[in-house]
Amino acid sequence: MERIDAARARDHIEMVERILAEAQPRLCSGGEYFVVWGIAAAYITVLVHLADRGLVPVLALWSTPLVLAGAILFSILRGRKTRYMPGRASLLQREFFNVLWLTIGLAFICNLAVYRIFGGIAASAIWSVAQAIVLLYIGMHGNRRAQVAGALVIVSLVAANFAQAGMEAYILAAGMLAGYGGFGVSELLARE
Amino acid sequence: MDELLLSKVRLGIVAELLNFDWVAFSELARSLDVSNGNLGAHVSKLLDAGYVEEEKSFVNRRPLTRYRLTRRGRDAFSAHVTQLQSLLKEAK
Repeated sequence: MERIDAARARDHIEMVERILAEAQPRLCSGGEYFVVWGIAAAYITVLVHLADRGLVPVLALWSTPLVLAGAILFSILRGRKTRYMPGRASLLQREFFNVLWLTIGLAFICNLAVYRIFGGIAASAIWSVAQAIVLLYIGMHGNRRAQVAGALVIVSLVAANFAQAGMEAYILAAGMLAGYGGFGVSELLARE
Repeated sequence: MDELLLSKVRLGIVAELLNFDWVAFSELARSLDVSNGNLGAHVSKLLDAGYVEEEKSFVNRRPLTRYRLTRRGRDAFSAHVTQLQSLLKEAK
């Protein structure tokens, strides 16, 4: 049986520690989803608010399903393309997609089937809640960028609650853009 | 001690796979800075022991081989590293 001395054991442990330190929890791919869904959610939030106040024609609301369909189509096509992307895929990435689709699905159900309860600005706020769950879930695995981004989205939710009437939509949209979209940009930059 | 993991390259392969769903052969060779032939020999020993599993496919008409750590490999790595740490403690 092969023996191992303390010097060799130390060398092996140092190598393992270095490899694990370099494998800091990251998504490997997926940053683009945050950018697309952050922009789409912010756009819809502001558009519905503006239409509600009569600042844009109600007809403009028809762009909402188009934006959503575009975001869904992008997610499906990108998901199929990255499924067999050479290189590596993290465990966090696999779990993250499960959480992402669950929260987005629940937000859709709230918007489409629970609109009497989650009406008005609550319909947008439910997206902020969903985004915060996704970001904090990733943050729980040690991703500091996701922790900061999740905190930003939560701060935007609380700020919107206490903001003067008419400002809620802009604050929520800012949280979606800076928190959700911003996290996507930071992940894409980190991947480089 | 797990004899299979006494090899630095094989221990490195398992450590590389630990936090990933899967890692491509080329990515492993690049990370561990070993030749393809050397890596292939070590990986096949890990495959035989059931520590890793292999998936072969084609992406854009080019072959892609990628690896994933099995439960058995994860447990073996965990036990081996614990034993290495104990050895270091005793040496002190």
